[in-house]
Order: sequence, then C-alpha cells, then structure tokens
Amino acid sequence: MKPILTYRRSWKINLIFVLFCFSFAQLYAQTNTITGKITDETGKPLPGASILVKSAKTGTISNQDGVYSISAEKNAVLVISSISFDTQEVPVNNRSVIDVSMQASNKTLNEVVVVGYGTQSKRAITGAVASVGFNEFKDRSFSNVTQSLAGKIAGVNISQSQGAPGVSPIIRIRGVSSITAGTNPLFVVDGVPLENFNLNLINPQDIESVDVLKDASSAAIYGSRGASGVILVTTKLGKPGKTTISAGYEYGTQTVARKVPLMNAQQWIGYYIDAHNNAWVDLNPAVNKASDPNSARPSTYRIPEDFITNPQQFGNGTDWQDVMFRVAPSHNAQLSVSGGTEKTQFLFSLAYLDQQAVLDENYYKRLALRSNIKHKVSDKFSLGLNLGATTIFDRTEGTQGKSDVISLAQQSDPIFPVYNENGNLGYRDPNSVWNKYVAYNDLNLWHPYSLTRFYHKQNKSFNTLATAFADYYVTDDLKFRTSISGNLFNTRLNSYRVKNQGYGYSGLLPAEGNVQSSYMLNWLSENTLTYDKQFGDHSLNVLAGYSVQKQRDEFATVTSGSFPNDLVETLNAGVVTSGSSTATEWSMISYLARAQYNYQNKYFLTSTIRRDGSSRFGTDTRWGYFPSVSAGWLISDESFMKNATFINNLKLRASYGMAGNNQIPNYGAISLLGSSNYVSGATLASGLAIGNIANTNLKWERTTQLNIGLDLRMLSDRIGLSAEYYHSVTNDMLLNVPVPDISGFSTQLTNIGKMQNRGVELNLNTKNTTGKFLWTTDFNISFNRNKVLQLGPGNAPITYTDYVVAVKTEVGQPVSNFFGYVVDGVFKNQVAVDAAPHYSTTKPGDPIIRDVNGDGKITVDDRTTLGNNQPDFIAGITNNFSYKGFDFSFMLQGSYGGEIVNQNFRYLGFWNNGRNMYASVDNRWRSEADPGDGKHFRATLGLTGLQDQFHSLWVEDASFTRLKNIRVSYTLPTSLMSKTPFRVARVYVNAENVYLWSSYTNYDPENTTYGASNYSSGSNGLNASGNAPNGAFIGVDYGSYPLPRSVTVGLKLDF
Amino acid sequence: MKHIKHILAIVCLCLAATGCKESFLNLNPVSNPTADNFKTRDDFELAVNAAYASLYLVYHPEGSVSYANEQMSDNAIVFNISGIQSDKWQFKDYSLATSNTMIYQFWQEYYKAIFNANIVLDKIEGASVDAGYKDGVKAQMMFLRGLYYFDMVQLWGDVPLVTTPLTGEESYGVLRSPQSAVYDQIKKDLIYAADKLPLASAITMPGRASKGAAQALLGKVYLTLGDKTSAATVLKEVYNSNQYSLLAGYADLWGPTVKNTKESVFEIQYLGGNASAPFSRYYQTFYPNNNFLGFYGGGMNQVTDDLYNEFEANDPRRDVSIALGYNNSGTFISQKYPIKWTDTKATQVGGNPLANNNFMVLRYADVLLMLSEANGDATYLNLVRTRAKLPKFGDAAYPTAKYATLDLAIEHERRTELAIEFHRWFDLKRTNRAIPVLTAKGKAITQTKLLWPIPQIVRTQNAAITQNAGY
Repeated sequence: MKPILTYRRSWKINLIFVLFCFSFAQLYAQTNTITGKITDETGKPLPGASILVKSAKTGTISNQDGVYSISAEKNAVLVISSISFDTQEVPVNNRSVIDVSMQASNKTLNEVVVVGYGTQSKRAITGAVASVGFNEFKDRSFSNVTQSLAGKIAGVNISQSQGAPGVSPIIRIRGVSSITAGTNPLFVVDGVPLENFNLNLINPQDIESVDVLKDASSAAIYGSRGASGVILVTTKLGKPGKTTISAGYEYGTQTVARKVPLMNAQQWIGYYIDAHNNAWVDLNPAVNKASDPNSARPSTYRIPEDFITNPQQFGNGTDWQDVMFRVAPSHNAQLSVSGGTEKTQFLFSLAYLDQQAVLDENYYKRLALRSNIKHKVSDKFSLGLNLGATTIFDRTEGTQGKSDVISLAQQSDPIFPVYNENGNLGYRDPNSVWNKYVAYNDLNLWHPYSLTRFYHKQNKSFNTLATAFADYYVTDDLKFRTSISGNLFNTRLNSYRVKNQGYGYSGLLPAEGNVQSSYMLNWLSENTLTYDKQFGDHSLNVLAGYSVQKQRDEFATVTSGSFPNDLVETLNAGVVTSGSSTATEWSMISYLARAQYNYQNKYFLTSTIRRDGSSRFGTDTRWGYFPSVSAGWLISDESFMKNATFINNLKLRASYGMAGNNQIPNYGAISLLGSSNYVSGATLASGLAIGNIANTNLKWERTTQLNIGLDLRMLSDRIGLSAEYYHSVTNDMLLNVPVPDISGFSTQLTNIGKMQNRGVELNLNTKNTTGKFLWTTDFNISFNRNKVLQLGPGNAPITYTDYVVAVKTEVGQPVSNFFGYVVDGVFKNQVAVDAAPHYSTTKPGDPIIRDVNGDGKITVDDRTTLGNNQPDFIAGITNNFSYKGFDFSFMLQGSYGGEIVNQNFRYLGFWNNGRNMYASVDNRWRSEADPGDGKHFRATLGLTGLQDQFHSLWVEDASFTRLKNIRVSYTLPTSLMSKTPFRVARVYVNAENVYLWSSYTNYDPENTTYGASNYSSGSNGLNASGNAPNGAFIGVDYGSYPLPRSVTVGLKLDF
Repeated sequence: MKHIKHILAIVCLCLAATGCKESFLNLNPVSNPTADNFKTRDDFELAVNAAYASLYLVYHPEGSVSYANEQMSDNAIVFNISGIQSDKWQFKDYSLATSNTMIYQFWQEYYKAIFNANIVLDKIEGASVDAGYKDGVKAQMMFLRGLYYFDMVQLWGDVPLVTTPLTGEESYGVLRSPQSAVYDQIKKDLIYAADKLPLASAITMPGRASKGAAQALLGKVYLTLGDKTSAATVLKEVYNSNQYSLLAGYADLWGPTVKNTKESVFEIQYLGGNASAPFSRYYQTFYPNNNFLGFYGGGMNQVTDDLYNEFEANDPRRDVSIALGYNNSGTFISQKYPIKWTDTKATQVGGNPLANNNFMVLRYADVLLMLSEANGDATYLNLVRTRAKLPKFGDAAYPTAKYATLDLAIEHERRTELAIEFHRWFDLKRTNRAIPVLTAKGKAITQTKLLWPIPQIVRTQNAAITQNAGY
C-alpha cells in the first residue's frame, strides 16, 4: 500500500500518484528516452504496469504489449509496479532499453479494499472486510451482482427468495440483528449510501469490486445505518493508455428444473368423491350413505355426475405448471469503451439485457448506460463524474404468494383443459359444455393465461444515479473532497384486466385499468478532509467529514372501471373509480471521523466515530454516536518469525465497534392521525383517528460487535486461511411492544429488546497445483447463533401470525421460531382416537395432535416450537481449474440445519375448498385397512381434526446443497488473435442453479414469500398482516417462484 | 495557512449550501396529519366523525354482532369464506376456542372504538369550545360508548371498563368489571345522552345520535336487565315523541337510496360509488360465495331454511328479506341469502361492489316490539303486523297455535321483522329462550356458552384477566 493516498485500487493509486506528482517533471530534467517491455514471470507481456521515475515527476503505463517508453535521467531509478506484482526499482545506469520481468506478489496483502470514505490495503485491514473483484463474477449471468456472490463470502448469507428475473436476494450479514426494523445491509454505490437500494440497477459488468463490511467496527463509519453490514459497490474507470473497446454477447436459456408433483385428474377426482361422501355421511351417519344420489344431498355435498360415471374422460388432465412455465431465452449484449490519458480517464458503457422469464408472458429488459469520467485540472485539483442511467421494462408476477399466478396454478383443478372447445380458457364460458361445472362451488380454476395473457401489465423503471466530486490538495498531505450525489428513481406500472379474462379466472370480472407511479429522489452532499502522512516508521491517515442526505418518496395510483370494451386500455376509456397519492421524506445529517495509524506497516490501529442525526427518530433522541476501535498485528513481519519461512503471512486482528439500525418507518416516532371518514346523508364527513402511540424517545438500535480475526498464508501462498470470531449484541432493539388492547392499541414501537449473534467464519483458499495446470479451491463456512436476550415488559414472548402460520420470539431462543402443533401421524381408527387426547371433533383419519403439555387435552397450550429458518451453518466451495486458455470452475453452495414453512400445505396438503393437492395426498388415510402414509388425512370437506391449524407437517427441512455454478471458458491464444482486429477473444459457457439436493416438497428451500422487513418503497414479496414485520416470516413459503436453471453461452471481444 | 483559510471558506460554503440546521431534521409527515390537534371545533368534528366510523367495524357484516346474532342463532350459517374457516365456523358450532382469531379481532375493535370515543370525551373537557357544543359532543360519545359496552357485556359478560384514554402501563391495571358495573356505566352514559341529545327532527347531520336513539337503546338495556318498568317508561317516551313512524310498506325500508327515514332511529351511514369512501359491504358479504356477478360474495349469513320457514306463508317481508338462490350462468343454484342491502347498480372496483345501503342499528319497529315486550300490550306489536298486512295478534286469523302467548308472538315477530339485522341471539338471551330454542334446533348451546371466551392473547398479555367459566 502506498501510504500517501487513499484510492480505489493499487494500480489506480500508482497511476494517480504518477499523474499527480510528476506531470511537470519533463520541463526540468536532462533526459534520455528509455523503452522496454514489462513481462510477467512466464514472459507474457504485462499491460497497464506503471513505470515512474523515482524522485522525479514523470510516469507512464505499459501498453497492451507490455511496451513502454519514458524519459528519464541517465542516473535515475525507475519504479515499476503493477497490481498483483511486487514493485521493482531498476536503476537506469545509462541504458536506453530496459526490459523488466515482474514477480507475482503476495497478492492479497497489497490489494486495496474499499472501506468507506476511502480505501485500505489488505495489509492494513483491522476489521472484517470481504472483497470480491470483477473477475469473480464477470461471466455470471445474474442481473444483480449480489446474486453472484451467494456462497462466496463467509458470514454473508445471500438467499434467492424468488426466482423471477430482477428480484433481489435477501442478504443477511452475520445473522439477523432485529425483529422489527429492517435487516437489509446498507448499499453504498460509488460512495453514496443508499438504503434498500436495488442492485439490479447497476450493470454487473460495470462493477470493479464489491466490498462487504461485516463487523461493526468497519461499519461504524456508516453510523446509524451500519448494523446489518455494508455492501460497497465501486464502478469501473478506464486506465490511461490505449482505448479499450470491449464487446460481449450472451445467449441463455432458463428452465424450471424442479416441478412440484401435483395430483392428476384421476387422483383428484378420487379425492373429491371421497371428501364429499365422507362429509355427507359424517353429517348424519345413521341415515346418510355414500351411495346417496345428488338429488338426496344439499348442494355442498353434490358430486358432478361425470366424476362417478365416467371419470376416465378426464384422463390425466392438465398439469398447470406445464402450462405456465416455459423454456425462456435471454440475450445480454455489452459494449464498453474505456481508456484515457494521464489527465483524463473515462469509461462509457452500454448494456442491454433482454430476459424472458420462465413464467408465461413475463420478462425483464434492462438498458444500462454508464459514463464515468475523471479529469485532473491541475496538480492540486481534479474533478469527476460517475453517471449511471438504467431503464428497466419488466413484467414480474408469481412472487406475491398464494394469490399470484404460480401458486394459483398449483391450486387449480387438473380436470380442466387448457382450452375449451370454443378456444376460451375456462368453464365459465357460458357457451361451453364445461359450463355445467359452475353449479359446483368447490371446483377451482385460475387459468394461468387468465392472469398473464388476459391481464396486461408492464412496469417501467428509470433510475439515474450520479455522483460529481472534486478533490483539492491543500497540501501534499491534505486533501479536501466534496461531492454531490443524486439518485432519481421513477416507476410506472400500467395494468389492464380484460373483461371476463378469457373465462379462465375464478370469476367473470369486469374490465379494470390501473396506473401506479412512484418517484424517489435522494440527494447527498458530502465533504471530507483527508490528511495522510508518513513520519519515519509512523504512518497516519486522518479523515474528517460531514454529510447531509435527504430523500423523498412519492406514490400515486389511479384505477378505472366501466370500460365499454377492451379496445382501449388507458384509463380515459373507463370511468375513474379511485385514486390516491402519498409522499414521505427522511433526512439525515452526519459528522464522521477516522484515524488510521500504523507503525512500520506492522502494527495497525484504526478508530472511527460517526454522529448521525435523523428525522426518523424522536425529538429527544435525534442524535447518536457510533464509535469503533480496531487493531492489527502483522506477526509474520516480526523478526522472530524470520525463520518460519513456510509462513508467508500471519496477521491477527481485533475490533470493537458500534453501529446502528435506522430502518424503521419514516414517521415511526410520531403519533399519526389516519383518515377515518364517516358519512352524513350523501356527503362524506371527514374524520381523523389516532393510529398509533407516539414515542418521542424512539431511537436506533445499537449493535456492538467484537471481532477477532486471524489471517494466515503459508507454503508459498499455497494455503491461505482466514478465521473470524465475532460476538455482537444489539441493544435498544425496536419492538412493537404489545400493550393491552383495552388501551385502544395493540402495540407501541419501543426501544427495549436485546439480541445476540455469535459466530465463526472460516475461509480456506488452496492452490492445489501450480504450473501450467492450475487448480485452486476456495472454501468458506460460517456458523451463526442468534439468541434473543431481552424482550418487552416481563419478557413476554412475541407471536406474529399470518395466514395461520405463527412465529414466536422468546428470550433464550433465536428470533422467529415456528410455533404450532406437533402431528404424530394419523389416527388409524376410532379406538386410537378414543385412546389418545384429541380435539373434540376428531375422527379416524384425522391428525394425531401431540398433547405437548400432557394435560390430557388438546388445547392451544399444546403448541410448541417446530423449527427456525436460520441455518446452523452455510458453506460454499469453488474449484477453479485452468490450463492454457481453458478455465473451468464449479461451485457448490449449501445451507444446513434450518427449517422452512411450506405454507402451501394449507392449500395443497388437504381439502381446501376443492383446490388441487400434492400428488402425495393420494397416499392418504382411506380406512382402517388402508391407512396411507401417516402424513395425509382422510378426505373430507369439514376439517374436524385441526388439519388447518399450523402444525409440524407444514414445517420441513430447509437444508440443501446446490450445484450453484459451472463455468467453462476458453481464451483464444494470442498467436491466433494477432491475425484478427481483436486483442482478446473469449468464449464461455456458464450454468447457474444446476442442481439442487433438497428434500423440500415445494419448489426451492430458498423460497420465502415474505422478504426482509423494509419500510422504504419497493419492497418485494407478500406483506404480513397487521403490524407484523415481514422479516419475522422469512422462511415461510406461501407460494413462490422456482429458481430456474439457466445456461448461458457468451463471447467477449476486446479490441 | 492560506490553504486553511481556503478550506474553511469551502467548508463553510458547503455547509451553508446544504442547510446544516437542526430544522433540516424536523420533517413533518407529508401525507398524514399528526396527533397534535384537539383544539378547535373543527378538530373535534374530525374526531367525532372518526368515533362514528368505529361503527363500520362493530356493525360490519362480518363483525361481532353479526356473528353472534345470526351465526350463533338459528338464522344463518356461513359458506366458503376466506380466512381461517374453522375460526369462523366455531360460532355456529358453539365450539369457540380461546384462540379464536375472530373473537380477538372483535375485542380489539371494541376497545379501539371505545378509545375513539374516550379520547374525545377526555380532550373536550379542557377545550375552549362553547358549552352547548361540548355537551352535545359528550352526549354523542357517551351514546356510542354505551352502545359498544352494551354489545360487549352481552358478548363477554364482565369486561374491563375503560372510560378514559389509558397509557399502555395504565391498561395493565384495569381488570374485568362485573356486569353490573358495566351496566351501571352504560345506563349512566345513555341517560346523559338522552338528556343532552336533540330530538331526531333537530338533527342537522343525518346519522348523528338523537335523543330517541339514546332512549331506545336505554329501553333495550332496561329490558335486558329485566327492568320492564323503566324500559316501558323510556320507550313510551320515544313512542310519544312523534319523531318516528313506520313506513307504509316493509319494502320501502330497503334499497341503496333509502336513507334516514322516519322509521330509522339510529342508522349507520354509508356512501357508495367510491372505493376510498366508506361504502356499504353488506350486499357483497351476504352474497353467496361465488362470483357470478363479477365479484366474490362473502357467503356470510346464508339464511337457514328454519328462518325462511319462520315467515308466515303470506308474509310479504319474507321475499323482501331473503332470496332463494341465484342464477349462475344459466344454472339456478339454490342457496338462501339476505337481500335487504342489495345494490345491484353499485360500481365495482377491485372486485368489490361499492354499495350505498345504510344499516339501521335501531329502528322504530324494534322500538314498538320492545314496547310490547316491556308493557305486555300487543298494540305496538300489532302496528308492526298491520304494516306487514298480517292478522293482528289476538285476531282469529293469527297463527295462535304456533305463537300462543304474547311473548312467543313477539319472539316470532322480532325474528321475522328484524331478520338478519343482528338481533336474534341477543333477543333469545334477553328472554332466557336461547337454550331451549337453540337446543331444539340442534345447537350445542349450554349455559356457559351464552358468553364468549376472553381471547387467550388478552390473558397472555395480562395474566390478571380472568376467563369466563367453561373455557
């Protein structure tokens, strides 16, 4: 690490350094021109190496062939450096040709890591920071860079909740530290902190590196927003020298590799008949018989005659998954131009992604433009602008759970054909022979096309993220930087529901049109002073800064009905029936400071403090301090280690810091009045009712974390090991503390809880072979243990329930345990029912509910913990092989020991008003002699034995191992390329989500229909009812989008 | 040092430009008012309207009194509705569990409603508004509070009696009050309301509580307490006030545009046609659970044959109240459901018909029937029967064989006249007829099941809250 500046990466530092210090040197020196070629150990040309004249002010960069040319005095010394290589000093000694062979350096130590408001060399890192460079995700086909990081970083659990294109993964860094507040990490894009930012808006091909601040001491520089970790994204900038034009094209296909086995028409009809007959007989066992004809039964118990007389006519029926899912192609074209001079560097890029979704009619199209420019006005003054503009047109459905198209298709009865004889979709077509089935209330069809083809939707998003900055060197050591950033995000969602929806939906609905639009403007002004100075063995870097940030969100919606026909879909054709608009704001002022000190580049000490003031918090508690301190000791540089030559690097790190969590509603501290209108005669009588209790003492959650880390590289860097231990405690945890309902309110948002996360992370990198055939392995594993230490008054447990599923948080347990009854099989016969404690109406074939408290009765007190979504550990392993131009790698990723709620069991596990069911339900209890598999209950319309209560059969093992990625690439040899206009050509094949090993019944154990709690706009997934935070239900799958397998073939050309 | 000056100048400039002030952090909600009001008369009007709006939940077609009076009586059942079905079926099945989510929801709704009245009563004491206005507002809030507590005491028996806004901490100290204390408070509230509220004819805002409404409700409270003398007195005052009369035909009472008639004593106001206005949900919720009209019916309060057959053969009220079934794409589906609140022309938005029908909590026919119940005089009952063009009680043509006594005649008349208007179960309880009548209809009713359980979660929050016997 060059100690003078803090900049993005070492080559850049060198470069800037060169430009900065030596640009006027030529004017004064007595010079010769020296030329030469820079190569690596194997003799390959090394482009982009920095050559500078020591103690003068000139420098240059080697070109694509490694060749350079520089003017220097005859007795000068050249300093040659390049990323990943040891810097060399070469005396000129009157030579005019100097070729230099560079030695690969101890890479990891000299790499530069972005740490927030600056960079640090890896050597100097004292916290827990993970850095992933472009090379590690360049061929991955994900639209969001964090998706490509899943399984790669210890302690960072990246989970793809929904497989639809454009859905961001749920990211949890070192467990979860909040019950109520949001748990998404803070995203910082080119220095702009953006809460709940959608990284799909940044083209991964434009990203230079992603750095993750995991521990509280590293994150403390982001103060009240750092408690869930910080993800720093840095975009690329060109290098001085020849302009590089890169073009790439990728073609891919996606498929649903794992369908859910559902009943076919015959199995379903069998169930339907049994359910009706059983319920009819149950109604009055003395009189009613299963053989009674429809005429003897009320409508509820009637069975379509065809089911009895000729069920074979339905054949196997329709598997609606086959109807809605398809093989979906994708195209991704990239073009970038980068380069520059010593004064000006730039990168322009353009990328177009056109991805069909595996779900019918769904797609995701993204156009991303970027222009990054940096210009040096003078030695002291430079300016820059990073501008990214992204447009997304998409149609994304199937992610909203049970009432969205994917889940509805699972629930649809298999007896119906894709098209009826009139070419319409469903049995509600009055002119169809199928129309006779409308007489049966318990037949269901939500034809996927009725939602995808007869319901038109398009979402358009426009994002502009711009950062303009100016650096001014007050002295050589003191830099002032000011920046202004703006993020403008607009969306527009147009939808139109065609009248009667092709007769394929569950009802004949009138046409309806809706337009929703949202707007978000976030601006940030940041001013920092950096002082960087070396005093002999002492090196000091001090940062002080001040920033102001504000955001405003607006939302509007308008709905029209009464359309005369389906010819015009814009709202003017109908009559506007409702409309609304809302807006919210937040603002923040921050002061920050950091001091980094090292002695002999061996002992490192960093301390930071940030003071944040936020509009979100109570007037009495508006400001908070977030300090941290950390230290590192490079033991391997000690003289006593000189003899331990097998150790290349050994470093001990320790840190302690505090970061906050501010992710609560913008006006969470204030008692709001909600509209509660009454009517008087024919006019509205406006009313306002108090919606919540104020809390003027509301403040951030504070997470303090101790981190101890050890880095070891040994045997000529063949083995690298990094281990971390952390212990974090979140204080003042925000809870919607229950208050007795007789107060008129159920809860009050209060800082009262306490939670702990402890964990161990291990990273092991090995070079298994060296030489021409290179094989490396990267393995990481992380363990996190989450425990609630304190809750509201009396530590009363907090239970949230949504659609029957209950999650309970109690002291001493991890947050959000699944809480319900335990089912111990199915009652074989009446004797078994009578012999066991049972719910009053239980019949043979109903579930055996465990009498957990042993009081001989089945009551609500028999509910108990059924599991928790948090895994015992997560792990990832990547193997890379390279030989000549070939590269091959594959990655396995897994999560072990967590549970998932298959809430679809509520529909698909037993009779629920005639919906289709899992094929396994065919193994149900039919009689004492035919008791089935002990997991599936007797068919009946009435649910007599608590089947529909949340119980253990809904909870499944979420452990999985996934062959996440396979990549093969081939770089054409230079000898071949020299005959073409191209400098580099590479072809590759990339496959994602290749195979899943999991026992989970539904699509994917990573599926969760509820996302992380997110109080800003743009949350994805189902919203929990009441004031339950969505995050409490992470791990509950209530109808989800499968994670498709995608295979892409790509070509990349540089010229 | 020159540089330092430059820097300071730049920093100052930047600070000034970005408005480094504490006020930068004082952001008031853009789209919500804050609760720092209750000062002017306009503020109170807004709060009073919000208190009235609580009626929408309590008298919701799927609200507490609907479940209690129709599902738990012999009038109706529920078919195919979303949510936790077993929790909904527990009402008609008399298998209410303490974990029943509906019961808890109702509990919350009542106390929210009571808070909305209490906050007005509390804040208006110190407000500088004129005394007459203050009394009027207090009287209205006490009427609503009396109405809510009267429902609650009939549903749960002893309930925590909250008459001022409580903090979270204070509310731990309020336990269940005995029924007698709750009734005392109800009487106190309603007597105050009856004293201060204007006559119906003097009400300028339709829907606001009147003297007659308070008196009619007070009469019902007295009847429920067995104090027929007091009931007769106060109901007779309503009768003699000349504020109310029966409409000419029973059918005249119903329809989306029939509002606040002479027969209406206390009526919940709805406004159809706009999704953001409080539209009427009875039409949709009481429709069978099918969407043949382009919206999903709720399948709530589907009428039993028993209620249908309760009507005398030539009773015109039957077909005004109940439909035999519906036509689904040419197929007739036989399923009886209530049609008093039908609004076929209602605009549909998002699958909801935005109906315009009001809902009468108290109407004059109810008052007349109560008056007969209180003083044993069939005159008032017969006014109701005459309007229905049916033979009077005591006439030869009256079905005396079935309804031999005046009590039985009133029971029969209330069931038919007030069908699906949320009266039946409370009527049967009041007259001590619930157990014999409903047992005969096959309901698993017992003495302890005449009260709902206290929701389990209420007792988890505050262990000092007791449970009703039998749960």
